[in-house]
Amino acid sequence: MKIVRRDLVPNGPGSVKMVAVDSDDLWFAYNLIAPGDSVMAVTVRKVLREAANGGREAERVKLKLEIKVEELSDYDKEGSILRVRGKNILENEYVKIGAFHTLELELQRPFVLRKDVWDSLALEVLQQASDPGASADLAVVLMQEGLAHILLVGRSMTVTRSRIETSIPRKHGPAIAGYEKALDKFFQNVLQAFLKHIDFNVVRCAVIASPGFTKDQFHRHLFLEAERRQLRPIIENKSRIILVHTSSGYKHSLKEVLDAPNVMSLIKDTKAAQEVRVMKDFYDMLSNDPSRACYGMKHVEVANERLAVQMLLITDELFRNSDIATRKKYVNLVNSVKDSGGSVHVFSSMHVSGEQLAQISGIAAILRFPLPDLEDIEM
Amino acid sequence: MPRKVNYGLDYDDDYYDDDYDDYAYDDVDAEDYGGPDTKQETIKPGLWQCSICTYDNDESMTFCDICGVVRRPLVNTGTSNSNKTVEDVTKSPGASKLARSLFQSLQQQIAKETVLFPKPDDGFLTDGSNFYKLDNVRGEFHEIHKDFSTQSHPHLNIDPFKFNVPSPDDVVYTGLRSSKTGLKDKATNSNSQLSSSTREKNELSVQSNAESSDNLSSLMQKSRQDSSTESKLSKKVAIDLQTSGKTSNSLPESLSKDKDNNINKINSSKNGTIDIQSSKEKSGSLSTRSKVKESDNISSSSIKDGKPESISSSFSNMVVDVRFGNSDNTNAKGTHSRVSYKPEKWMLPEQAEDTLTQLNLAIVGHVDSGKSTLSGRLLHLLGRISQKEMHKYEKEAKLQGKGSFAYAWALDESSEERERGITMTVAVAYFDTMRYHVVVLDSPGHKDFVPNMISGATQADAAILVIDASLGSFEAGMDGSKGQTREHAQLIRSFGVDRVIVAVNKMDAVAYSQDRFDFIRQQLGVFLHFCGFKDSSLSWIPMSAMENQNLVASPSDARLKNWYGGPYLLDAIDSLQPPTREFSKPLLMPICDVIKSTTLGQVSASGKLEAGALRSGSKVLVMPSAVVGTVRSLERDSNACTVARAGDNVAVTLQGVDGNHVMAGDVLCHPDFPVAVAKHLELKVLVLDGASPILVGTQLEFHIHHAKEPGRVSRILSVLDPKTGKVTKKSPRCLSAKQSAVIEVILNETVCVVEFSSCKALGRVSLRSMGRTIAVGVVTRIIEEQG
Repeated sequence: MKIVRRDLVPNGPGSVKMVAVDSDDLWFAYNLIAPGDSVMAVTVRKVLREAANGGREAERVKLKLEIKVEELSDYDKEGSILRVRGKNILENEYVKIGAFHTLELELQRPFVLRKDVWDSLALEVLQQASDPGASADLAVVLMQEGLAHILLVGRSMTVTRSRIETSIPRKHGPAIAGYEKALDKFFQNVLQAFLKHIDFNVVRCAVIASPGFTKDQFHRHLFLEAERRQLRPIIENKSRIILVHTSSGYKHSLKEVLDAPNVMSLIKDTKAAQEVRVMKDFYDMLSNDPSRACYGMKHVEVANERLAVQMLLITDELFRNSDIATRKKYVNLVNSVKDSGGSVHVFSSMHVSGEQLAQISGIAAILRFPLPDLEDIEM
Repeated sequence: MPRKVNYGLDYDDDYYDDDYDDYAYDDVDAEDYGGPDTKQETIKPGLWQCSICTYDNDESMTFCDICGVVRRPLVNTGTSNSNKTVEDVTKSPGASKLARSLFQSLQQQIAKETVLFPKPDDGFLTDGSNFYKLDNVRGEFHEIHKDFSTQSHPHLNIDPFKFNVPSPDDVVYTGLRSSKTGLKDKATNSNSQLSSSTREKNELSVQSNAESSDNLSSLMQKSRQDSSTESKLSKKVAIDLQTSGKTSNSLPESLSKDKDNNINKINSSKNGTIDIQSSKEKSGSLSTRSKVKESDNISSSSIKDGKPESISSSFSNMVVDVRFGNSDNTNAKGTHSRVSYKPEKWMLPEQAEDTLTQLNLAIVGHVDSGKSTLSGRLLHLLGRISQKEMHKYEKEAKLQGKGSFAYAWALDESSEERERGITMTVAVAYFDTMRYHVVVLDSPGHKDFVPNMISGATQADAAILVIDASLGSFEAGMDGSKGQTREHAQLIRSFGVDRVIVAVNKMDAVAYSQDRFDFIRQQLGVFLHFCGFKDSSLSWIPMSAMENQNLVASPSDARLKNWYGGPYLLDAIDSLQPPTREFSKPLLMPICDVIKSTTLGQVSASGKLEAGALRSGSKVLVMPSAVVGTVRSLERDSNACTVARAGDNVAVTLQGVDGNHVMAGDVLCHPDFPVAVAKHLELKVLVLDGASPILVGTQLEFHIHHAKEPGRVSRILSVLDPKTGKVTKKSPRCLSAKQSAVIEVILNETVCVVEFSSCKALGRVSLRSMGRTIAVGVVTRIIEEQG
C-alpha cells in the first residue's frame, strides 16, 4: 500500500490517503474500514440531466464522493474489489447529502480514509500495509496421489487457485498399466494448472509438497514436459522450484510447508511465516505445560488481569466486529498486553494459521507463569 | 434375592463382550441408560398406580380401568406422563440434548452412589424390595373392595407413604424396558450397562446372605396375617405372565374367568414362542417354554399347598417375572430381525462346496523389515509364482542393482516401488493352506504411506507383524516418533485384529541367536500387551525369508533348529482361529479400488465383503452417489466365480454405473438397505502416545474403512476413565496422550459410515495429523444435520 498523505493523531481523529497496489492492500483496507468511518474516492454515478429539448437522459458522471460507512464492507477476493456502502456527506451538484452510494475501491485508485479514533490496532495495520519489505508471495503445489491443490500465499491471504482430484487405481496384476497411466494423466492436469496460475514474475518461489514420493515424481514429470514442450517459464526458473515433505495433500498441511527449513529461510520475515511459528509455539506450550497456555476470551482476560500474558494470539476477524464496544474491548486487551511487556500477534483469518486460531475462539495466549486454576473457570 | 443372581447371569451370558475392556468403550451405555431412568423417577412419586402400568406401556389404559373408577383423573394424568416419557425416549436427541443427557447421566451416577452409602446394611434394601411387592398387592385389594365397602378409610393412611419409595429393582427393570422400547439400536450397549449394574447388585446380595433368613421370617409372618393377599399375589403374577407374553388384550375378561381359562392363556403364550425360527431364538424359546411350565406348576401349587410352599412360590414367581422380561427382549429381537432382512439360500455358505475358510491376512511392520520379500517367498514356495516368473524377477532386479529384492517384486509391481525398493500401496495376493484360502494384504511400512496401510489393515482378520531382527533395525522400528512398529500394532488392534503372528525376520543377520530373539520378544511383548493384545493371541516365529528358514517347513539351519522347536510360519497361519462372518446381514462392501475399462466401458470395484453376499445379476447400490447397478461378473484372484460372501475379497464388475460415480472409499450395499452418509459424527476415541494435544478446531485426517477425509474436531464432550469407562471430566479444554474421550468431528465431505454397534468394520476410525496417527476409536452416533 502506498501512503500518499497521513494526517492523524494517534488515538484521535485523522485521515490517510492511500493507493492499493495489490490484493493484499485491499485486504488491509478491508480490515481498516469500519462502520462510522468516512471514505472519499472518485466514483461513477448515473444521473439524470435536463436536455436542451426539454427531455431527460441518463448520463454517467465521474464524481468525487465522501460517504459515511454504514455497514461492514464487502471484499471480493477473486475480483480484487472492495465495496464500501454508506451515505454521502459531501455536497455536490449531482448527489444530495444523505443519499446512499456504494464506492468500489480498486487497485491503483487512491482513496481517503477518515476515522474519529485511530486506535493502536488501526495504526498497526497501516504500518504493516506500508511496509514493502514484508512482501513475499509463494506458490505451492500441495499434493498427494490423486489430489492436488494450487495455492498462492500472500502477505495476508492464502488463496486456493485450483483443486485437482482424480481416482488413481491401485496396482493390480495385469492392471498395473492402468495405475501408471492414471498417475501420468493426473500429473498432466496438475501441470496445466501450474502453468495457468503460477507467474514467476510475481511469486518468489514455487514449492511442490507431498507425502511420500509424489512430489519427486511430479517434479520429474514437470521438467521432462518443460524440455519436451519448451516451456520457458519453467526452464528459466528451475532453481526457484523446491521440494518439501508434508504429511498429506490437504490444505491444512500448508502450515508444514511454511514451517519447512528451506521455505522458512525464504519467507522468514513474512506474516504468514511468523504466524506459523507463533501457532507452533502455542501448541508446544499446550502440549508440554498446559497451565501456561489458554484460549477463549474469558480465560485470556483473566490471565491478562493477572499480568500473565507473555504472548497474545488474536485473529483480525475479531477486530472487524461491527459492535464498537466489542472492538474496543479487544483493542483495550491488546494495549494492556503491550503495556505489561507482552507481544501481540494479529493473525490473518485468510491464512491457515488464522483459520486454525479461529477454530479455538480466535484468541489465545502463552503465559509467563502457570495458571492452573484457569481450567476451572467456565469458558 | 435369587432373582438378582439369575438376572445378572442371564445378561452376562448373552450380551457382555469382554474383548473391548481395554479400550473403555462403555460410557455411552451410561448415557443411554441415564435419560429414561431419570424421567421414570419423576413420574413415580405421585402416581403409584402407574408403577404397575409402566411394566407394559401398551396396556396402560386397559389396566388403569381395572384399578377403579374414582381414580380416573389421576390415572389420566399418569397416562399422559407415561406417553410423554416414551416420546422423549424415542426422539433422536440433538447436540444440546446430548449434553443435557450427559449431565443427567452424571447426576444419575452420583445419586446412585449417594443412595447406596447411607444404608446401614444391605439387607434393608432387599427387605424394602419385598415389602414393596406385598404392599402393592394390598393396595390393589383395597381398590377392589372400595366398590363394595364403606369402611375403607383406615388403609389410606398407609398407602401414600409406602408407594413414595420406589424399589431399586423396579427402577432397573423399568429402565430396561424403556431402553428397549426407545433405543433399540443401542440395545446391546444398554444391556451391557445393565449387566454391569446387576453384577454390582450381585455383590450386594452376597454380602447380605445373613439378612436373607430374617427377611424370610418376616415375610412368613406377613403371609400368615394375609392369606387372601397371597391368593391375590398369585393371580397378579399370572396376569403379568400373560401381559409379558403379549398374547392377551382382554385383561378384564381374564379376571372374570376361572383358573382353567388362565391356564389356556399360558398355553397361548407357549404357542407364540414356538413361532420363533432362528437358531439363537430357538434356544431362547426352549428356555421360555420350560419357564412357562414352571410357572404353571407354581400357580397350581399356590392354591393346593399350605403356607410354607406359598412362600416359596412367591419367590419363584418373582424370578419368573424377571425372566419373562428377558424373554420379551428375545421376542422383540426375533420380530425385528425377521422383518428387516431375510437372506436367501444361496447367500449362506454350504459346507460341501468348499472346505477351506476365507482368511484376510495383513502383513504389517516397519519399513524394510522384509514384508514384501516374505510375501513373495511364501507365494513362490506354495507354487503361486512359476519358476519362469521367478527367473524373470531375479534378472530384472539384478539389472537394477537390487538383486536382494527379487521376491518382493512379485508384489511391488509399479516402477516407482521397484526403483526405490519401497512398497507404496497395498498389494493383494492369494494362496491356500491346509485350512484357509488366504488373501495376503502386503502393506507399506514407510511412514508416509500409513494411509495406504490403513486401507489394507481395515480388511484384515489377522495380521503378521514383521520385525527385522538386525541390530539397530528392531530399535529403529520401535522408535516412538519415527518407527512404524508401534503405530502399525496400535492400528491393527484398533481395527479389531486380535490374532497376530509376530514374524521375527532376518534372523540370519544375527546368526539365529536365541538371545536376540528372546530380547525382541520381551521388548515387543510388553508393548503389545500394553496395546491390549492377549498373550494367548500372539505367536512368535523366528525366521529368515531370504534363506527360507522356518517358513513352510521346520528350520534346516542347525543354529535355529537347536533351540527352537515351535511351529513354522505356515503352521502358525493354520493355527489361527477362523473369523466369524455376517452372512445373514444386508450387503456391505467397502470399495478399496476402482478400475475403469475405457474399451469395454464398464467399471470394476474391488474390496472385501463385510456383510451379505453377491452374485451375477444382483442389484447393488453405490453410496454416497446413490447409483443403482447390477453385478455383471465376479472375480477372485483373476478367476471368475459365481458367488461372493462375507469375508471374500473380490473384484465386482458393475453394469449401469458410470465410472465417475464410483471411487475408493465408497460402499456397495443392498438397494433396500442403504448405508448412512454423514459428515458430522460422534466418536469415542483413545488418544495415542506422542500425539500433540487435541483441541476443538484441531484439523486432522479422518480414516474410516477405505475412505479418508480431512475434518476437524468440533466438540470435546467428555474425558473417560480408561479402566471403567465413566466420565471423569466434562468439556475439557484439550486431550492429551493416553486419554479416552467422546468427541464430535465435522468432515469436509460426507463419508459412508455405520455406527460401531451395528457394523464393526464400518464403525472403526483412525484420526491422523502431521504424519502420525493421533487417535483411534469408534463411531458412537451419526449426528443429523438440520437443513
